[in-house]
Amino acid sequence: MGNIFMLLNGVYKMSLQINFDSSWQDAFLERMRADGPWGNWDLFKLAVEVEQQTVIPEFEGLIAPGHLPHLTPLPHQLEVAKQVIENMNGKAILADEVGLGKTIEAGLILKEYMIRGLVKKVLVLVPASLVSQWASELTTKFFIPAIAQKKSYMWEQYDVVVSSIDTAKRSPHKDIINKLDYDLIIIDEAHKLKNNKTKNYEFVQNLKKKFCLLLTATPIQNRIEEIFNLVTLLKPGHLGNETTFNDKYSSRNKRSVNEDVHLKELVNKVMVRNRRADTGIEWTNRHVETIAIEFSPEEQALYDSITLLRNQADGLMSSQFSLMTLHREACSSREAVYYTLRNMLKRQEVPTKEYEDTIQFLIKKVESVTKNSKAEKALELIRQIDDKVIIFTEYRATQLYLQWFLKQHGITSVPFRGGFKRGKKDWMRELFQKHAQVLIATEAGGEGINLQFCSNIINFDLPWNPMKLEQRIGRIHRLGQENDVRIYNFATKNTVEEHILKLLYEKIQLFEKVIGDLDDILTRLEFGSIEDHLVDIFGQSATEGEMKIKMENLTSMIQFAEEMKEGLARAATENS
Amino acid sequence: MQQQKIHKFLERYFESNGCEIIENHPGYLTVQLTIEMDKELMNRPFYWHYLEKTGGVPNPMKLTLITNNQLAPDDIIGETIHFGSPRLHQIFGSAKNLAGHIRLYEEHKPPAGTQAALMPWLCMNLKISYQCDRKKDIFKSIGIQLISGQLIEGFHEKLVNIQLTPKIPDHTFTLSPLIMPVSGISRVEAYLKTELKSEDHSWADAAKERWKKDLDLLNHFYEEDNENENYEVERRALQEQYEPKINISVVNGGVFYLTSEAV
Repeated sequence: MGNIFMLLNGVYKMSLQINFDSSWQDAFLERMRADGPWGNWDLFKLAVEVEQQTVIPEFEGLIAPGHLPHLTPLPHQLEVAKQVIENMNGKAILADEVGLGKTIEAGLILKEYMIRGLVKKVLVLVPASLVSQWASELTTKFFIPAIAQKKSYMWEQYDVVVSSIDTAKRSPHKDIINKLDYDLIIIDEAHKLKNNKTKNYEFVQNLKKKFCLLLTATPIQNRIEEIFNLVTLLKPGHLGNETTFNDKYSSRNKRSVNEDVHLKELVNKVMVRNRRADTGIEWTNRHVETIAIEFSPEEQALYDSITLLRNQADGLMSSQFSLMTLHREACSSREAVYYTLRNMLKRQEVPTKEYEDTIQFLIKKVESVTKNSKAEKALELIRQIDDKVIIFTEYRATQLYLQWFLKQHGITSVPFRGGFKRGKKDWMRELFQKHAQVLIATEAGGEGINLQFCSNIINFDLPWNPMKLEQRIGRIHRLGQENDVRIYNFATKNTVEEHILKLLYEKIQLFEKVIGDLDDILTRLEFGSIEDHLVDIFGQSATEGEMKIKMENLTSMIQFAEEMKEGLARAATENS
Repeated sequence: MQQQKIHKFLERYFESNGCEIIENHPGYLTVQLTIEMDKELMNRPFYWHYLEKTGGVPNPMKLTLITNNQLAPDDIIGETIHFGSPRLHQIFGSAKNLAGHIRLYEEHKPPAGTQAALMPWLCMNLKISYQCDRKKDIFKSIGIQLISGQLIEGFHEKLVNIQLTPKIPDHTFTLSPLIMPVSGISRVEAYLKTELKSEDHSWADAAKERWKKDLDLLNHFYEEDNENENYEVERRALQEQYEPKINISVVNGGVFYLTSEAV
């Protein structure tokens, strides 16, 4: 290591390097000797004008906005683009909160590099549902002729190609892409690349690139592996060896304050993040309303009979998880329960008599349910809202049921799922905007679609992962939303749902909070996913009392982390 | 450069290269390329090679460039040009390439019966790039008179106001340079270097500061692993990124024969 410092010191002492390019002079002298050929004066003047247009007059600042008269970026978006270009050398994680316009930031950076002549070949990888939107935004807002990939020859033929990562990583596309040298790669929803064991990660890692932008609303925090994996995508080899890195920084070891400082510095070097609160933009309000649903006696009976199974712990329902799933499904629709039960039966090759009986018993209970209390409430609410509404559910069976149910009552709806092909997603979005009152989306449909023209959400059932919930809300509560946003949470009384809602969501005021704070809190805890904790609490608690205590514990931990964070923030401001 | 300005620029570029503009619509223009321009822009060497071998009839392409998607009719097929698009960069580069070197004479009519002397000037249009992890450019146009050695800045601005012609006008004659062009170039180089050295280089010091910080961080991650080959790669990458330097490149230039009153 010592020789390197000496080397660097050597560079320090050297006076500033000035290089004079002699290629022009050789050609010029040759022409003097040969008496030509000489250029044309008009063209000569044109070349000088071009040069005067393309010089970068200052070390700092962007030239792109001056060339985009139709676009008025917000101050925080300009600031991000400036940061990435000036301080991060075009390798960055853009981690603004949902809805702050990361697309605009990425577009600005791309445009700036293109104007400077540093970027020509570009690959934009985004969720399938956003491919057309990205391509059209780049074209209309930035005059960048981006093309949505459709045929495999397009990778080579076009300079700016937008595609989904799922398409790109498949043959024959993958082989073509791997041969290309990209100047810039933009990846939207990059939080999916936190795990370096996945195919997606491997694919992105193998791309040849000069600059790289990773866009995510979920920032990296103190999770060592995430930091390592994402930074390694941006700057391969920068963090040294993975094992050494993990040993040194892993939370399992005692981390010295000193090392934390290095990690912080590192994260600041590669990540920019704006919060809604910092942007100074007037956001429309969020109104959150919890609607308590009362089960019909038949629905209650179905729910209770699932509870009974837990006490029959004879390996029948060995997985706590499936029990929990059934419970949650019972809060959604009988169709969802039925679907799972049927699958459970199918999975057993030779089901025992007892197993079969239990399932049949449950199916009987399902069959005796005649109405869906939540659906009826939803219908009432939709009529009362008398405007566009998005219903989110976790279950496909519920989605299908709701579509049928609403149709019975003369309400037009369109379905939306993550699994839809890109064209279908665009089509559904348009149908919803122009012709239908309701969009029914499953969880997977929550990401990667922008629906600012709608301002009402019904959470038909609640996801256990608070981040997913924020993603849902983020579909409509983003830049471009002109109305206050109304969120209706359905929770069935005396069920797991009510517990979740009361203890977690209401106590930590999830809905009023915006994603950033929550993120920080959750990652700070470093105790695994909330979902795992919930499965444990509801699955393993012997009594209602035990469950309550465990829930209280979880809530206080979250509150503690929150206070800790506020304390740190205060300390940070005092220090600076 | 906004879209309208780009449109104007393209018009001038193709016209000064002798290409006919077939259609000139506010949103797009269609150009019939000449053989030379087809070779310059369309990148199809095999076609031209084949044609020359077989002696076929050359068929240079038409090129449609869309400068405003909103104004252009929907059924127009062409390339969308924007500031920053590779095609425009190619055309910029081509303008520089095709007019990199020039020799012109002042259009001067001496009174009847007299002869006028034209002084040789060397003109160099230069781009000075200050480079570290950030970049700044300065455009300079320098002229040096190859007899007296007089050196002036902003030379191009003076030239555009003078009537110039590629052929030596009647009744004028050129004086031979006392300073050879090659020495003229060295004088310009020396002049620029002296000037640049005396400038304030706090930008370079700041870059070194940032460089050192980043290197310290990198060293930290390799503390126990400094034999790693990646380390060397990363260290070089940092040097590439941060090391401050100034690059001077010549945009274009040439000799201009001017009357002594012209400058």
